[in-house]
Amino acid sequence: MKKADLSVNFCGVNFENPFCLSSSPVGNHAEMCSRAFDAGWGGIVYKTLNVDTSFKIVMPSPRLNAYHYNDKRFVGLQNAEQITDRTLDDNIMDIKELKRKYPSRVLISSIMGFSDSDWEILAKRSEDAGADMLELNFSCPQMARKDAGHRIGQDYNLVEHFTGVVKKHCSIPVMAKMTPNITDMIPVALAAKRGGADAIAAINTIRAITDIDIDQKVPMPTINHQSGITGFSGPAAKPIGLRFVSELYNSKDLALPISAIGGIETWVDALQYILLGGDTIQVTTAIMRYGYRIVEDMIEGLSDYMIDHGINSLSEIKGSAATKLIDPSNFDTRHQVVSVIDSEKCIGCGQCYISCQDGANQAIVFDTRLRKASVDETRCVGCTLCKHVCPVWDCISTRTVDTRNQSHAAIF
Amino acid sequence: MIRIIDKESICDFKSMHPSMSLRDAVCEAERCLLCEDAPCSKGCPAGTDPGKFIRQIKFKNIKGAARTIRNNNILGSTCAHICPTDKLCEMNCSAMKLEAPINISALQKFAIEYGRQNNLEKLESSSGSGKKVAVIGAGPAGLSTAYELAKKGHSIEIFEKEKMAGGVPAWNIPEFRLPADEIAQDIGKLRDLGVIIHTNQHINTLEEVDKLKSEFDALVVATGLNKAFGLNVFQDAENVTDYMTWLKKIKFSNSEMKTSVANKRIAVVGGGSVAVDCCVSAKALGAAKVYMISLEEGDDLPADKEEIRLAQRMNVIFKSSSMIKSIDMKDGKVSLLRGMEIAWKEPENFNPSNATEVEGTDFSIPVDYVVQAIGTKPDYYNLFSELKLGPKSCFVAEGDEKMWASSGCTFAVGDVVNGGATVVRAVGEGKKLAEHIDKFLARGEI
Repeated sequence: MKKADLSVNFCGVNFENPFCLSSSPVGNHAEMCSRAFDAGWGGIVYKTLNVDTSFKIVMPSPRLNAYHYNDKRFVGLQNAEQITDRTLDDNIMDIKELKRKYPSRVLISSIMGFSDSDWEILAKRSEDAGADMLELNFSCPQMARKDAGHRIGQDYNLVEHFTGVVKKHCSIPVMAKMTPNITDMIPVALAAKRGGADAIAAINTIRAITDIDIDQKVPMPTINHQSGITGFSGPAAKPIGLRFVSELYNSKDLALPISAIGGIETWVDALQYILLGGDTIQVTTAIMRYGYRIVEDMIEGLSDYMIDHGINSLSEIKGSAATKLIDPSNFDTRHQVVSVIDSEKCIGCGQCYISCQDGANQAIVFDTRLRKASVDETRCVGCTLCKHVCPVWDCISTRTVDTRNQSHAAIF
Repeated sequence: MIRIIDKESICDFKSMHPSMSLRDAVCEAERCLLCEDAPCSKGCPAGTDPGKFIRQIKFKNIKGAARTIRNNNILGSTCAHICPTDKLCEMNCSAMKLEAPINISALQKFAIEYGRQNNLEKLESSSGSGKKVAVIGAGPAGLSTAYELAKKGHSIEIFEKEKMAGGVPAWNIPEFRLPADEIAQDIGKLRDLGVIIHTNQHINTLEEVDKLKSEFDALVVATGLNKAFGLNVFQDAENVTDYMTWLKKIKFSNSEMKTSVANKRIAVVGGGSVAVDCCVSAKALGAAKVYMISLEEGDDLPADKEEIRLAQRMNVIFKSSSMIKSIDMKDGKVSLLRGMEIAWKEPENFNPSNATEVEGTDFSIPVDYVVQAIGTKPDYYNLFSELKLGPKSCFVAEGDEKMWASSGCTFAVGDVVNGGATVVRAVGEGKKLAEHIDKFLARGEI
């Protein structure tokens, strides 16, 4: 079997593949991380360290709640997890051990300080332990202190300041991890750049509420009759992650490499982030659900894609989809489509008809005798709602209409 | 959702239909395509409207689903257990074109159980019309007619000859297919509406019928089929019985039957669902060998595919395309059946006169009991001479949909008109007749 070269050079650090663990319970300690490396992950962002003498972490419980959509389990995951609750010494010892055992793999130390000296200590000790890079956690949504977690990530001055402090005390590359809990990520990322950041990691989890117990009338996860707005991740978060990553990539002022995060489960998800500008990929929620083994399919799938498409290096395709994003006000409205229903494949359920009747332009005709749907092209505005509700995946397609020669319902 | 045949439950005479968990119900409802034209609803003769109750389950309105079933079908639970869904609601299910049809009966059962567990309110009838209707026979058609009429505010009294209401589902369907409690719960809805059910009230004289006619504004004859057919060859044999007696005994004298059937050889004559029930029950009681002797074979067997699979699973021996020619008797009992295999002269015509014997296929089967499951006919038609009698001693149907018979204030419905059909069809016909009687009563015609 031919294998593509999946290696990535990220801030001068070589990753044998772009797939990394993001800073979370999946990288809690050396034993777990060893198994992740053995499974094939290219890099690990270790669970966020802090200076245990300045702030004692106690995890709440239960701290997870999954977002289920009918029969589809685990579409998203809400967590009230904190940064590491182990001692700094233990974690540093683990990082040393991992670098000794896996010298060619990338170990990134995620750190969070509560003061200049905290940031300094964590940066120095990580570098001394052999960490290849640092990730500055400016984005933990559960960290309620004004001077920590996502509260920093919303304060440009603090981001710039703490990045500067870290950069002053280490020589390894530094990436700043962004919170999505903000209207525009670019000013914060630029602040990190001004502080000296070498790369941006995005996104951290989205502040959310996944569920409410309607009998007890309390949100979940319910921690002794109370709950909180905490971080949401997983497949349902991917569209938001894709948006932020593309914006970071498309910012000419920023021009920093990106470690892309947000709902990645498969090589297709990863590739989509790369096409929008990601250099490396970080994963947690999918590992929490399926285990480290999923990286095998990411590697094999992405490798096949590269070979099939004649791609020698991921850098060739990085951001190639991001450049096609334009302002919606500039869309070419002379280009219009109409839906085409394949009568052979139509199973006659009429879902397209219902949706078009009540949610679009009443352009579908449903023959109840033959149990077949068809498109009234004089009414079809080409919205494609029908295509998306059809339970047969390849039944409804679109046909481009030459609006110079043919009228179209969307133009009148 | 895999439909499992649970052999152990059958042998214990406990429901063979496991209840659906919330998880299974959510997943199954999620598969439903919520068709614009709901072929499932069109396929239900009783108008139970599965298209609606599945949608209600999907949108987390499970109590609403239970309400839909309760309002639309007096025997909702009974039907959920015994309906031949593959020939009705599930037959044109769109999901079948992608994978398997939606398991509608299981969802129906799930919604009903959910309603029971969550205190679904009792049905209330509209205010009294002052009109009184008598119904003879507390089987599916009679119960359904009574239910619909009671909902419309009429006073209903049902006269049932047996000690318990329910008709065929109550007496002749094995416990593993339909637990007695399910039909009792269904019938309970009638009592909620104030319907009076007189059990042990055998109306079998003209005087009694005339009395009902004088006391009530309308009379509904829903007496069903009571007389079992038998083959002449078995006349006077002690160990030959009909399916009604056989199934009733198994249902209500189970341990006694166990003693007499265990390790015995049973031959069941017939190829329909009832014959399968007789065979499977016998196996469940511990019979050594059970033969199902039928004229039809394979796909032509009138029994449902699911039921045939059940019989196969229970190791019933199919003696298909076979005809009994003669018997050996010993001490007044049949001891041996002698028969031959047959072929049909014309295709699709399963009348014995169309059969030819296949030479060299003679067989003999030693037996301890013979059960005849070859059909039934009405018994009380003489009491209602005002109704037009058609073939097979059934009343001739009228109206646009040919679902009931009538003359003056006498109406007939169910098997006594249709000649024997499914429970769900009897429910549907009862509903239609009730609509008609309601209009009739409103007109004030006598």
